[in-house]
Amino acid sequence: MEPGDDKKDTCVSGETSMRKNTIKNDIVERDSHLREKMRFIDKTTLEIDRELSDLDRLAFEFTTILQNYTPYVIVSGYVSILLGRARASEDIDIIIPKIAFPKLKKLVYELKEKGFYGINEEKDSDIFACLSEGIAVRFAKQNTMIPNIEMKWAKNNIDDLVLQNTIKVILPHGTLLVSQLELQIAFKEIVLKSPKDREDARHLQKVAEGYLDKKLLQHYKEILREFH
Amino acid sequence: MSFIKENQKERFRFIDQWAEYIRTHDDKEWSQQQNVIINSCVRTASMTKEQYLAMKGKQKRRPQS
Repeated sequence: MEPGDDKKDTCVSGETSMRKNTIKNDIVERDSHLREKMRFIDKTTLEIDRELSDLDRLAFEFTTILQNYTPYVIVSGYVSILLGRARASEDIDIIIPKIAFPKLKKLVYELKEKGFYGINEEKDSDIFACLSEGIAVRFAKQNTMIPNIEMKWAKNNIDDLVLQNTIKVILPHGTLLVSQLELQIAFKEIVLKSPKDREDARHLQKVAEGYLDKKLLQHYKEILREFH
Repeated sequence: MSFIKENQKERFRFIDQWAEYIRTHDDKEWSQQQNVIINSCVRTASMTKEQYLAMKGKQKRRPQS
C-alpha cells in the first residue's frame, strides 16, 4: 500500500456512499411522489392519498357497517367529488341489491346503534316497505340532516350492471366501492344530462384521461340510449 | 354566442384546468382546497327534517289505506 492510499480509499468509499445516498434519496422521493398522486393501479383499483372531507368520513362510517350485510356501490355525484370535482353535495347515493327483511332489520339496528337514523322513515318495517316500493331511504347521523346517505335497491338492469362493475378506491383510512367510471360518465351524459351532471362527466373524463376504456364508454352509451 | 353557452364554455374551461391541476399536484394539495368547499357547505347547511324532506320532494312512503 502506498502512503495516502488509505486516504484515497476513504475518499472513494465516501464518494460511493454519497452517490448511493443520492440514488436512495431519489428513489424515496420518486416513490413518495408517486404515492401522493392519484394512481390508477389497474382497471378495478384506484388509489387516492387525499385529505378526507366530511363526506368521505360519512361514506366510510356508513359503508363500514353496510358491507357486513350486503354488496353495495356508490354512484352519482359523490364519485366525481371523490375524484376531486370542485363542488359539494348534501348526499351520497348508494345502490344495494334487494335484501330480505331479517337482514335489513339487523342492518338498521346496527346503523341506529352507531348513531344513524332514517330521515324519511325510522322504523325498520317502514324502511323495508319504502325500499320495496322503489323509494330511496335517507340516513344521517343523529341531530343532523346534511350530509346524508341516500340508499336504494337495485330496480333495473342498469342498477344491476352498476352493482356488478365496481372499482375499489383506496384512501388513507380504508376502501370504498364506487361505480365503474365509464358507466358513470355514460349515465350522466345520456340519462341525467343536467348541466351539473355534464360537468361531473367532463371532470371524470379529464381526470381519468388515459385510463378510461373508450370502447367500453361507447358501449355503455349505446346500452343507455336503448334503455332510456 | 348566448350568455348560457358562453357561461357553460367557461365552466368547462375551468373544469379542464382543475382536472389538470389534480393530475399534476399531490392529492393532499388539491384535496385540502376542495375540502374548503365541501366542509363549509356541509357545516353551514342547517334545516329541519321537514324543510329538508320538502326540498327533496315526496320521499316518504304513502300511508296504506
